[in-house]
Amino acid sequence: MTITYRLGADIGGTFTDVVLRGNDETIHQCKVSSTPADYSLGILNGAQELLSRVGADPAQVSEIIHATTVATNTVLEGKGAKTALVTTRGFRDVVEIGRLRVPQLYDLNYVKPVPLALRRHRYEVSERMLADGSVLVPLAEAELTTIAAEIRAAGIEAVAISFLHSYANPDHEARAFALLAEALGPDIYLTRSTEVLPEIREYERTSTVVVNAYLGPVVKRYLLSLERRLASAGLAAPLSIVQSSGGAMSARAAAEIPAAIIESGPAAGVIAAANLGRAAGYGEIITFDMGGTTAKAAMIEGGEPTRTTEYEVGAGINLSSKLVKGGGHSVKMPFIDVSEIGAGGGSIVRLDAGGALRVGPDSAGSSPGPACYDLGGEDPTFTDAAVVLGYLNPEHLAGGAVALNAAKARDALQARVAGPAGLTLDQAASGVYAIAAATMMRAVKAVSTYRGRDPRDFALFAFGGNGPLVAVQVAELLDMGRVVVPPSPGVFSALGLLHSQTRRELTRTVYRPLAALTPEALQHGLDALREGVARALADEGCAPDAMRFQIEADLRYVGQAYELTVPVAAELPEGILDALGAAFHGEHARTYGHASDEDAVELVNLRLIGLRADSGDRTFRAPPLGTPARGTHHRKVHFAALGARVATPVLTRADLAGGRRAGPLIVEEYDSTTVVPPGWGAELDAFTNIVITKEA
Amino acid sequence: MPLAPRPEITATRSDPVTLEILKNALESLADEMALIILRSAYSPIVRDSMDYSTAIFDAEGRLVAQGLTNPIHLGSFPRVMTRLLETFGATIAEGDGFLVNDPYAAGGMHLPDIFFIRPVFQAGQRVGFTASLVHHTDIGGLAPGSMALNAEEIHQEGLRIPLVRLFEAGRPNAAVFDMLRANSRMPGEVMGDLRAQISACDTVARSFAALVAKHGAAFPALIDELHDYAERLVRQRIAEIPDGVMRAVDYIDGLGESGARIDFHVAITVKGSEITFDWEGTSDQVAGAINCPITTTWSLAYAALRNALGPGIPNCEGYMRPIHLRAPEGSIVNPRDGAACAARGVIAYRMLDTCFAAFGPLMPGLVPAGGEGGPTAITFSGRQGPRQVQWLVTDGILGSWGGRRDHDGVEGISSPGANLSNQPIELMEARLPLRVESYGFAPNSGGAGRRRGGLAMQRTYVIEAETASMTLRSDRRRNLPLAMDGGLPGSPSVTTLQHADGRCSLLPTMNMGPRPLQRGDRVMHIAAGGAGYGDPLTRPPEAVAEDCRDGLLDAGHARTVYGVVLAADGAPDPLATDALRRDLSRLEPGELAMRQQAHFLETIGAGPGIGDRP
Repeated sequence: MTITYRLGADIGGTFTDVVLRGNDETIHQCKVSSTPADYSLGILNGAQELLSRVGADPAQVSEIIHATTVATNTVLEGKGAKTALVTTRGFRDVVEIGRLRVPQLYDLNYVKPVPLALRRHRYEVSERMLADGSVLVPLAEAELTTIAAEIRAAGIEAVAISFLHSYANPDHEARAFALLAEALGPDIYLTRSTEVLPEIREYERTSTVVVNAYLGPVVKRYLLSLERRLASAGLAAPLSIVQSSGGAMSARAAAEIPAAIIESGPAAGVIAAANLGRAAGYGEIITFDMGGTTAKAAMIEGGEPTRTTEYEVGAGINLSSKLVKGGGHSVKMPFIDVSEIGAGGGSIVRLDAGGALRVGPDSAGSSPGPACYDLGGEDPTFTDAAVVLGYLNPEHLAGGAVALNAAKARDALQARVAGPAGLTLDQAASGVYAIAAATMMRAVKAVSTYRGRDPRDFALFAFGGNGPLVAVQVAELLDMGRVVVPPSPGVFSALGLLHSQTRRELTRTVYRPLAALTPEALQHGLDALREGVARALADEGCAPDAMRFQIEADLRYVGQAYELTVPVAAELPEGILDALGAAFHGEHARTYGHASDEDAVELVNLRLIGLRADSGDRTFRAPPLGTPARGTHHRKVHFAALGARVATPVLTRADLAGGRRAGPLIVEEYDSTTVVPPGWGAELDAFTNIVITKEA
Repeated sequence: MPLAPRPEITATRSDPVTLEILKNALESLADEMALIILRSAYSPIVRDSMDYSTAIFDAEGRLVAQGLTNPIHLGSFPRVMTRLLETFGATIAEGDGFLVNDPYAAGGMHLPDIFFIRPVFQAGQRVGFTASLVHHTDIGGLAPGSMALNAEEIHQEGLRIPLVRLFEAGRPNAAVFDMLRANSRMPGEVMGDLRAQISACDTVARSFAALVAKHGAAFPALIDELHDYAERLVRQRIAEIPDGVMRAVDYIDGLGESGARIDFHVAITVKGSEITFDWEGTSDQVAGAINCPITTTWSLAYAALRNALGPGIPNCEGYMRPIHLRAPEGSIVNPRDGAACAARGVIAYRMLDTCFAAFGPLMPGLVPAGGEGGPTAITFSGRQGPRQVQWLVTDGILGSWGGRRDHDGVEGISSPGANLSNQPIELMEARLPLRVESYGFAPNSGGAGRRRGGLAMQRTYVIEAETASMTLRSDRRRNLPLAMDGGLPGSPSVTTLQHADGRCSLLPTMNMGPRPLQRGDRVMHIAAGGAGYGDPLTRPPEAVAEDCRDGLLDAGHARTVYGVVLAADGAPDPLATDALRRDLSRLEPGELAMRQQAHFLETIGAGPGIGDRP
């Protein structure tokens, strides 16, 4: 039997991680430099390296799954399409006004983000629907002819259509789409709100479809060129893209709904953790993914990542629980609820005017990078503190690929922090480490305590280049008892791609009190959704008997501004409305600590999620363990709990195969370093995860 | 010259690491409380205006962290906490919970703002308090919403709650709950919001107690150091302001249809690292609901200074130490006990405008020229359906900042006085018998300047019920947003009512009682537009041309106000522009502002007498 392979590719700013998994259960991985001029080249380089390593033919690759930052970067760098909006007369400013709020108080020099469709390219057309879907003003089709001419003359590349109340009746939008498609031809990207987000709330829906238009041509171009490049090298297997929700969709579908793949990369790591957790028996997980500039946390409950539809693109750091948003463009689509903190390995350390020690949010990036990189960086960073403390190898990282200069780290920290604050070098470094952990703690709290969950009920899954370095310290702050460092923590997100399952979903606004609904009405709404989702799955090549459906309802008390999402039993029994009410009261009490059975509950949205169940074995398999270290090596390492430096064993993951070892320990791997402080111990589980728990 | 900070302030300093970690932990607890309330409250004013606050206090009742929600609440907690400790002091027991709203006897804000305060105990010792304050939907009084402008004394404004125990040693006081329910037109909402308040306090009380336990005996000293740290930061920044007195005068057009102008005089004195806000000369209190009890006046001193100093100062009581306030008793910013005060929000926004105007000349680059001056509040109400169910919606229209030294003003943004939101039009229309016909920027509005002011926000409603009534609280029709550094003032607010039969009238800025409306009536409001910063004749012609390309300004505005002549392709004509600007620079002072106003009024089809009394 010929071995077939699935290929995963995760593109980061510096490295592209490529993973190959055979149906013989072998896993191969490599890191190659990213190729910003044309990222697809990096993927091809990695794929070819792996294929030649295993001696396989490109035709043996049966599926390619890809996580990409192309969408996020397009918005952050302002390099999207020249975009127009066609909207209802009287409302062209809605998308620029947004919800008025500013992301930070007391900043009178705040500048709003530039609209993705400039006012001069926002066209109004006479038409008006009412909330019940009836027509107040018919669509003035003749006006669209004029608008089409102006759009052409302005050199527009993408057009979004969003009309008021189109979620209730999409006829005008659909008609305008058809007319504009005919007038503008295939070269101008065209998208309408009801195809992307048929939900009530005009700003959020319009903003989402404008983001979709802005990304459309760029993402489409990128995916086409990637597909072409792969095919020309013999890699003609179907290409899937990971969505922000963690599910996969075909590249062709992603080109139509690029707004769905904005947080492709962070989602992959969470999916990996959920999958590994399911296999290894951890259902309740908080993921902790720390890289060079940010740290991200997400929650997995009962094996499922928690998701949200409150997201803004282009707002910089996304702290999911943030009280106030408004710094970016709303995209109201399903995202894995990832909370981000602007602190990573490259975060700059300084004393503020009041004499407090601060870590981040400024970052030294990869150039000049931390002082210890010796590339001209003068500011001390988190990485420098970790080098000073002895946590990181003082000579090199990545098995020798990156040389370090520990003296530079010491000098920078002495000059900028220890000296001015009157601290010893170890005190200063230890302080930086403690503050970084306390800052990370906020990201973990944002996805747990802020939502009524107790972090002590969860295992902390640490990955990313820096996650395992600081995870135990974070766990200690929150009194969490268990930290899990999965194999290959540095390329863990790429591994996650191989576990991503095809997922398509649709939403329908109901916006009525439960008391005013019947099970039949609910069923009717779901039937319509099911038809659409099944069609999308069929387009992905999914056979009808392999389709699995999940239903979710967004509910709130009448008068509240925010909904809570609860799952609905897949088959509707008679008592479904009561069951929904009860599930909502329970979830409300759990999340906010209070509920009232007497108050009326309203159903805002119904959502149907379709999953593809025949996408092969997606179970997590542990990659082979490396070789044990030759002899025991020690390093003088500083631990705050001891207030001093102690000779600490430096091991490899394979050294832990012999059984539990008590801390302090340092576990050095090619792509990450794990710190096990005194009072904690480490062992391997059956999946070669390093499991770190408190000593009895 | 800036003074050096007081030596005793910089001398002591404990471990900067523990301090930063503790500050983070306390702030995240206050934010966690704020999030619970925002997401689970019922009150639309919580949802849209974030008109609520959360806070954590040390054992002595000093504020150690406040949730970042609403600057107008910055001064709300300290006075209530002082009264609480004076009143109940040693008798405060574990499981107690206190309720209060009285703005005069208890140091509260106005009656709709109900405080809930929970003492926190750790191992039998009181270690602090958690507290929340929420603007409740209705607590009785003359009109639904409890903010009737025509109230003349506080007793017409609803239920006045002195400091009472809502919980006694863990046992709820049923009488107080019953009293609250019986005195509200919307008891369900009030109880729901109160549940959210209590839950936020209780959830965080547990984490707070754990935090105190972790730091053990060192906790009080750490808290002292945190206060000192905040004080140090704020003193350092105040000391950077040159010593001296900064003065400004601003106005409210008047109370109701015919009230006299209300004057705001502020003198802000900076001496070393101390700052004093003095409102001597401000108008007397009025016979209407817009008097502003002193607690809110304190808030505005804190809010104005924090805005001028920028982000990064922790929200703990230490930062308040160098800030002082003088407000003449009996003035509208310090009314006597008994004065009606439910609608004092408009005064708060105007105090902020006045303080910014005072800061402007001495703090260039830090504060903007005048914005819209706070939200216009429009309320529509009526009864609908076979059961004649009461419906009511209060909508805020706002969103324009004045120009800044380094940036244009902004349109479509909350006031710096409160982080307000707008209501989704589709949700409003799905629920209420009214339709929004347009919502956007009003062309040719705002004030011109080298950095122009933000354009005014415009919204038009059409009534779809047989009958309805409306109240309106707006301002800034005669007394326009103040310009800075030679810019032009902002544009006036305008409200028109067009009846179904075509008759059209200009409405006064405020009406004291409800105005009846009928199906098809069309109410159009344009809020004031932001003022300009710097001489408009120095604005780069290309920037003016860009605004014209976006349809924000027309060619007439470019020519009349900026002296920019646009060629047929929309690009500035440099020679013609130079010549016209030379002519305009010779105009009498004030003439350019008059031309700007005339052009704006012409754009919206209103007569030149708009600043006159109707």
